Amino acid sequence: MNQGKKPAVELAGLSYTYEGSGIKALDGVNLKIEKGNKVAFMGDNGSGKSTLFLCLNGIHRPDSGEISIGGEKITYTRKGLLDVRKKVGIVFQEPDSQLFLASVYQEISFGIMNLGVEEQTARREVERVMEELDITPFRDRPAHALSGGQKKQVAIADILVMHPEVMILDEPAAALDVTHTEKVHRIVEDLTKRRITVLMATHDIDYAYRWADQIVLMKNGRILKEGTPEEVCSDEALLKAAGLVRPAVLRLYEKMAEKGFIELREKPPKSIEELEALIARG
Amino acid sequence: MLSIDKLCCQSALRYANAAEKFVYAVLTLCICVAGRSWTAAVFAFAANGVLTVWKGKIPLLRYLRLLLVPAVFLIVGTAAVIVNLSRNPMDAFALSVGEWYLTGSRASILWGLNLCATAFASVSCLYFLSLNTTMTDILGVLRRMHLPSLLIELMMLIYRFLFILLETASAIMTAQESRLGNRNFAVRVRSFGGMASALFIRAMKRANALYDAMESRCYDGELRVLAEEHPARKREIAGIAAFETILIALTLLT
Repeated sequence: MNQGKKPAVELAGLSYTYEGSGIKALDGVNLKIEKGNKVAFMGDNGSGKSTLFLCLNGIHRPDSGEISIGGEKITYTRKGLLDVRKKVGIVFQEPDSQLFLASVYQEISFGIMNLGVEEQTARREVERVMEELDITPFRDRPAHALSGGQKKQVAIADILVMHPEVMILDEPAAALDVTHTEKVHRIVEDLTKRRITVLMATHDIDYAYRWADQIVLMKNGRILKEGTPEEVCSDEALLKAAGLVRPAVLRLYEKMAEKGFIELREKPPKSIEELEALIARG
Repeated sequence: MLSIDKLCCQSALRYANAAEKFVYAVLTLCICVAGRSWTAAVFAFAANGVLTVWKGKIPLLRYLRLLLVPAVFLIVGTAAVIVNLSRNPMDAFALSVGEWYLTGSRASILWGLNLCATAFASVSCLYFLSLNTTMTDILGVLRRMHLPSLLIELMMLIYRFLFILLETASAIMTAQESRLGNRNFAVRVRSFGGMASALFIRAMKRANALYDAMESRCYDGELRVLAEEHPARKREIAGIAAFETILIALTLLT
């Protein structure tokens, strides 16, 4: 079997209980994610998304079940953990819990220095990632003087500089203004172009439907449904169980087709822009 | 403290080599304190003012206002040196208070003024350093001086999280105020207690989250980070050496 065929992430019977809680935060999760996929994790707060992410990076050790990253099982030795954390990076939801240094430059250098690379290489990489993510204009400001969106950019740079194979973003657009949300989405698109597997927790069904290759619906520590956006979004009852409604564009498209304004296509539109184009054509 | 932090980011001398600024400030401070010379103190005070306001482009008014902060302590402290309560009047001045005199000698006036000058010069040295050097750069210098890394790492973390603590506290207080949380003294005390306990719990949670985030970036107990370097300039080093020599000469001559 060649290297490219191995799934980026594979979970088998994963269960995890927080100490002293007695409730399973993850309850027998099975999942397979192909390399380079864009995966949206959806579900209410407390459905197990963040717990799952912390397991993928070896921060939480599951009570039972197995995790394989790029075909290799996580081993919970010093070396094994270092290895998995090199491959899987997490951008945390709250940048203030991730950025722990006052200087942007120092902050970004932390991860790559922990990988034990040469100082010159590390400096080059830090400069490169700052340029790529448009951090250069505010690189000299202390962390407490950055806006929420700028902190998020730095938080992503923190991880990107380590060149992970799998990048996890926990609600990256939470509490961001429209400009920075778009910026984050653009960065995420670039990640995919580099064949990085992106796992993103989000509550925005419209975005997930448009962006993802695979949507994972979670509830009470279990996977309710997993599949392509079309598969997942066609089942209204299922979405409702996960606390979601169908994407606005789909509902609008179907209603308009029903009333005869437009013709049904083989592939329903993914975004409002696509729907507008359909309407323009009549 | 917050205004100093903002000012030093705007300083035109911010990107000068931090070690140079550190050595200049500390050396000048030491000479002023050890030498106790009038002329040296005035010279150093003037030099720091010129460097900070003219070279560093720190607004003059802000600088003067900052200098006023320690002035109150200084004046009270100096007054205690100059003014004595005694049965016998001394040579400079004497105010009779019943059988006693509020009085002072010429020597003590000179001594007090000298103290004042030295103190202002020393304060201006510290202001020069803190108004033109970011905390991160100062810590970088201390690291190069091989201060224990535990100490440096603690200072780095404290410096970052102090601001988060202040932000959180002020957010909680605003929320309390908008619900009449400081209507009267009793309510205010209760609100403050509530704020303090909420802050403590949040700090604990944040510490846990932070540790997870650091671990997920391969943290293994040692903070390895790169500092940005701004090279030292020969001309500046020569300038500092010349200045300190003049300062020592002034101290010895007077």
